[in-house]
Amino acid sequence: MSDPDEELLTRVGEGDPAAVRALVARKLPRLLALAGRMLGDPAEAEDVAQETFVRAWKQARDWRPGVARFDTWLHRVALNLCYDRLRRRREVVTDTPPERADEGPAPDRGLEAKDVGDRVGAAMQRLPDRQREAIVLCHYQELSNIEAAALMGISVEALESLLGRGRRALRAALSDMVGG
Amino acid sequence: MTHERFEILAQAYGGDIARWPAPERDAAALLMAAEPEFSRIVLSDAGELDAALELWAPMSVSPALRQTAIASAPGMRRRWGGPWSWFMGAGVGAGLAAACAAGLVVGVMLSDVTQPAASDDTVSASLSNYEDLSGLVTGEGA
Repeated sequence: MSDPDEELLTRVGEGDPAAVRALVARKLPRLLALAGRMLGDPAEAEDVAQETFVRAWKQARDWRPGVARFDTWLHRVALNLCYDRLRRRREVVTDTPPERADEGPAPDRGLEAKDVGDRVGAAMQRLPDRQREAIVLCHYQELSNIEAAALMGISVEALESLLGRGRRALRAALSDMVGG
Repeated sequence: MTHERFEILAQAYGGDIARWPAPERDAAALLMAAEPEFSRIVLSDAGELDAALELWAPMSVSPALRQTAIASAPGMRRRWGGPWSWFMGAGVGAGLAAACAAGLVVGVMLSDVTQPAASDDTVSASLSNYEDLSGLVTGEGA
């Protein structure tokens, strides 16, 4: 299995400052996007991205190529951190889960790109965690179905079921914008 | 590929077959060629949701977060600020120490002067002098 990050990781393990900066430039936007979309909270997403890097630096020295792709491993770490936070939220908010109202389009203006994006984000946050995770990994992070299923610990068929249900729920939530 | 499988894939992976699982793309392309109207409707339907999903922009990385991530790597804590960062840090530290010392002296003097005054006056006098001290911090730390 070829890993596009392998050479960079070796240099990071040797203490090369340029490699550290390059790895951050390559992975931080991806990790922040993942955590932001999973959590819907910018501050928490930044914490998760930062904590993922702390663990990545520890791992870089001992990274063994061929076991897993580094990018997949990073996703696993970040997802675990996201789930820790989602679990904590459920423990704090016991019987009244946070409901983000979908207000629909503003009556006095048309739907602009940002409005649509905000509504998509709100609809995504209302999805069950596993459906959201499947869509984030496959659509936004552009992982293959095999990588995403492995990360989630499920079969490809189960992944496709989660994706299908998630997308149907999104279509229903955004039915005034998305036909069908 | 059956119609049902084609629809399941579109519902799961969206309206662009380039994003479908690689082993299924050839069969999907054959179905598209054989039944263009059916496949067009299914893909266009899924594509509408894809287009909406794309408008949910990812968070952008702030310079502060980037620097924190870099500085968390072993041996990078002092490097990211450049060779003068240690001296800058020492300067700011010295400035803060001097400001604290000056604040202590002024505070003691003020408490002597304002001892008999009403409590409201003491508070306002302390606040005005506290603002003056902020210039000291900047001057010493620069």
